[in-house]
Amino acid sequence: MTAIHQAVADPSAMNGHETTAPKPHRTKEREKRRSWLLTVGIWVTLIYFVVPLLWLAVSSTKDNGDLFTTFGLGPGHSFQFFHNVAQLFSFQDGIYSRWLINTLIYSLGGALGATLLATMCGYALAKYKFRGSRVVFNAILVSIMVPLTALAIPTYLLFAATNLTDSPWAVILPSLVSPFGVYLMRVYAADAVDDSLLEAARIDGAGEFRIFTTIVLRLLGPGIVTVLLFQLVATWNNYFLPLIMLNNPNLFPVTVGLAQWQSTAAAGGGAQVLFSTVLTGSFVSVIPLMIAFVFLQRYWRSGLATGGVKG
Amino acid sequence: MTDAAPRRAAPAISMKPQRRRSRANAVQTRAAWALVIPFLLVFAAFLIVPLGYAAYLSMFTSKLVGGHVFSGLTNYSQALHDPNFWAGLRRVALFLVIQVPIMLGASIFFALALDSGRVRGGNAVRLLMFLPYAIPGVVATLMWGYLYGTNFGLITQIFQHLGLTAPNLLSSGNILGSTMNIVCWEFVGYNMIVLYAALRSIPAEIYEAAEVDGAGQWRIALSIKLPALRPAILLSVIFSIIGSFQLFNEPNLLFNISPNTVGTAFTPNLYAYNLAFRNQETNYAAAIAFLLGLVIVIVSSVVQTVTNRKERRA
Amino acid sequence: MKTLRSTAVAITALALTGALVSGCSSSKPTGAAASAPVTQAQIDQAMDTPTTLNLWAWVPDIQHEVDLFEQKYPKIKVNIVNNSGATGQYVKLRAALQSGKGIPDVAQIGYDHISTFTQTKSLLDLTPYGGAKLATDFVPGIWSQVALNGGVWAIPQDSGPMGTLYRTDLFSKAGVSAPTTWDQFATAAQAIKDKTGAYITDMPGNDMPQMLGLFSQAGVAPFSYDGKSTVSINLDSPAAQKVVSYWQNLIQKNLVATDPDFTDGWYQGLSRGQYASWLTAAWGPVFLQGTAKNTSGSWAAATLPQWQAGQNVSANWGGSSNAVMAASTHPIAAYELAKFINDDPASTVMLANQQFLYPTTTATLTNPQFSDAKSDFYGGQQVNKFFAGVSATVADNLQWVPFMDSVNSSYDDTVGKAITNHTDMVGALAVWQQQVVDYAKKQGFTVK
Repeated sequence: MTAIHQAVADPSAMNGHETTAPKPHRTKEREKRRSWLLTVGIWVTLIYFVVPLLWLAVSSTKDNGDLFTTFGLGPGHSFQFFHNVAQLFSFQDGIYSRWLINTLIYSLGGALGATLLATMCGYALAKYKFRGSRVVFNAILVSIMVPLTALAIPTYLLFAATNLTDSPWAVILPSLVSPFGVYLMRVYAADAVDDSLLEAARIDGAGEFRIFTTIVLRLLGPGIVTVLLFQLVATWNNYFLPLIMLNNPNLFPVTVGLAQWQSTAAAGGGAQVLFSTVLTGSFVSVIPLMIAFVFLQRYWRSGLATGGVKG
Repeated sequence: MTDAAPRRAAPAISMKPQRRRSRANAVQTRAAWALVIPFLLVFAAFLIVPLGYAAYLSMFTSKLVGGHVFSGLTNYSQALHDPNFWAGLRRVALFLVIQVPIMLGASIFFALALDSGRVRGGNAVRLLMFLPYAIPGVVATLMWGYLYGTNFGLITQIFQHLGLTAPNLLSSGNILGSTMNIVCWEFVGYNMIVLYAALRSIPAEIYEAAEVDGAGQWRIALSIKLPALRPAILLSVIFSIIGSFQLFNEPNLLFNISPNTVGTAFTPNLYAYNLAFRNQETNYAAAIAFLLGLVIVIVSSVVQTVTNRKERRA
Repeated sequence: MKTLRSTAVAITALALTGALVSGCSSSKPTGAAASAPVTQAQIDQAMDTPTTLNLWAWVPDIQHEVDLFEQKYPKIKVNIVNNSGATGQYVKLRAALQSGKGIPDVAQIGYDHISTFTQTKSLLDLTPYGGAKLATDFVPGIWSQVALNGGVWAIPQDSGPMGTLYRTDLFSKAGVSAPTTWDQFATAAQAIKDKTGAYITDMPGNDMPQMLGLFSQAGVAPFSYDGKSTVSINLDSPAAQKVVSYWQNLIQKNLVATDPDFTDGWYQGLSRGQYASWLTAAWGPVFLQGTAKNTSGSWAAATLPQWQAGQNVSANWGGSSNAVMAASTHPIAAYELAKFINDDPASTVMLANQQFLYPTTTATLTNPQFSDAKSDFYGGQQVNKFFAGVSATVADNLQWVPFMDSVNSSYDDTVGKAITNHTDMVGALAVWQQQVVDYAKKQGFTVK
């Protein structure tokens, strides 16, 4: 359920109102009475969203024994967090840091590439009249519906036939395709780039390429950031594709690596008791994401209230 | 996702001589293609060609004894009679019919509640609810797997503290519900944020007009807010359809802790994976993947056509 | 996306593309048999060349044996990948084989899966590398598992003579001794449940090899294979039905747990004494040294309960080998690694005494270091002597068909599901039989 669902990440939504919503609406509400019942109700349901994360944080401080024998949300007999982290980064020659780096490379590579391609294509479809643009746009619209993970096995088979599996490219290249990104950029560019501005630049003698790089990219900034962020989340979360494409553990992203450790922990049994390592690894891997979500919230400006919401 | 935003006609600049315009057009057409082609190349290479290749492979049968033979549509007719494939489709359909309304219903409720401004600490609520979306599906499932654990899980522990018998959340009857819960947990906050943004972009004048007319908060919610959420909800529905049909990560990871209740054909995608890598029926797996894509396109299109028609009528 | 028409257009386009790429065909490695024997000079040169080998194995702590190898051959570096158990490893191996990339040099393969992988020509014939010469080092019954169809496809690592591992503390608390017949086992199950609250054992729904071991003990010969294209599948025989309905009865009385094995929950069950025994093979304890370490010392080994009093029949569960993959680019070094781990005296004794892998070389079996060893895990029992006795009583009716991965996943979905859901296991047995026969026919085999 991840890839495409997350592809609709509409980060601008985090604070869409700050830029798009008119202010009077907000000030008026300040005067309204808070509802005691609603507040309590909502905060209670919040437990559901927060407790699993709390459990994960608590678990990363326990050793294997305490993990299973002490109360999940209470402390263990000893505070093992630093020991667990040390174990995490040293197990199997410290392959975990490699996984983190791989994840970063795959998601940055995939997201930057996909965003660039989607921006170019979306802008061209929005602002140029040319033969075939309708056909192209329709084909892209249909392809939004093609599920990415249903594509994973066909892509794997193709890559297998052409000897491209088990390399970083096997993960990065397929994630360059973001039909939804093109769609969003097209809708966004239609509004954000003023035709008269383009025309004025042309009269001034600017070439199309220069117009794109100097004027258009700047105007599309917020939209670009949005597409970039949701592509980033989509590739960061990707599991199925790297799972089947990669065999060399040194190439795994952190999702595949952790899943493998988890099943090794179970099937391998024996002296390799990894449960607390896996949980600490999970916790450590989501910390940067959570920080990024909180931190970037302020930067995810405006954008696609137009695209994602008006769609 | 309708082609709603009409493309503006390029402004004609009538003073310019005709010749100059057509030359400018040629330049622009070239520029347009130069911008479009890079995307089209990767689009073709990593979307159309793999699908085409899968379609091609699905027309063959590779036997352990007897090798590779062309078999036409045999794989497809087999799939249409395959109880595993249908059971998987039925299961994701059930998932869709139950999980998606619950998830979206909760998202709408939270979005409306937060938008009403009546909740103390609304900003914190919004952020905390959104946080699970930052957790990769793999980690979320791993974590919930531990919480579900029948011998040691947090949920069992809590039940035992209360002196109750804990339900077996990994049993055959509960495993689908447990999967739904994981997906809900991951995406309620995300959908809430999308809907909340849509609510925030409703111009204040509309509310003022409604208040002048004497409409109460409930009236406003029902007759202004909900209709305004329509496009955003439709988008979420479409993406949830696609997401449900391609469910893979969650069942594949739950398989590790509860192999028999998940089974190898829990969802069509998981089935295709197991066919390809456990049964060595690659060609058949390609047919299943292809059929699955087709089903999703059809279902999403039907949902869209139906809602579009309703919209037009309204 | 206004109409379905555009969808139709797109699909037509896809169909056309299909024609374009039809030139591609998957490149599968072929099981190449190097014809000329490898000379000592070639071996010396290979072992003196800096090389990195990839070994896929699920035996815990195989690193210890590999360390010995790396000490002997410092130029060779071995990367170990644990793909989470046999099933996980086979799935991963298939994916690698299909893409022709990332295939390991050496892989652990259960005896039951050897023909499954030779069928697809994925294993290297070790004869030219000196494999055939090792025959005399190994117990004949085991050697025949890896020497098939005129080739030597792997080096045996361990065998799995089955016994009952039971918790002496729980059994004595319930006032029962190790049952010698299945009837006694059922009676003991009731006593243990009543007095200790524990289950006498766990019958997992995800472990076909264990069930096949129990079948074998009851005289079922489930498969046969002529090495070419004829197989027989006999999973629904009266003897198999007898075994399955025996377990169904205990499960329905709630005297036997049905947790999937080798999972978090199962380790917890063992660690907390929820299962008073485990019907397992000699290698069992290696999996109990981690999470269930707290139970070490309270176990003892006994023979499997018998169907008739006075009988003494055991069976084999698991046991595996190290095979060199046909695609390996370092076949000589890879063969030497597989040979070293499983034939070197120090390495095999270590496997036997530290990882509880029941040895397959006659040298280790007769080595007093092995046979006289007392195990702390078993509270000082001379367990190796015990399993040596069991070994002689193992039924030799188990053969394998060359598509065990499919047989296994079908078991999980039929009989396994019935175990987990406490539903009709005997009925599920018939479905399993049917699914396996259908699969075999579909794959072009003649089913006798």
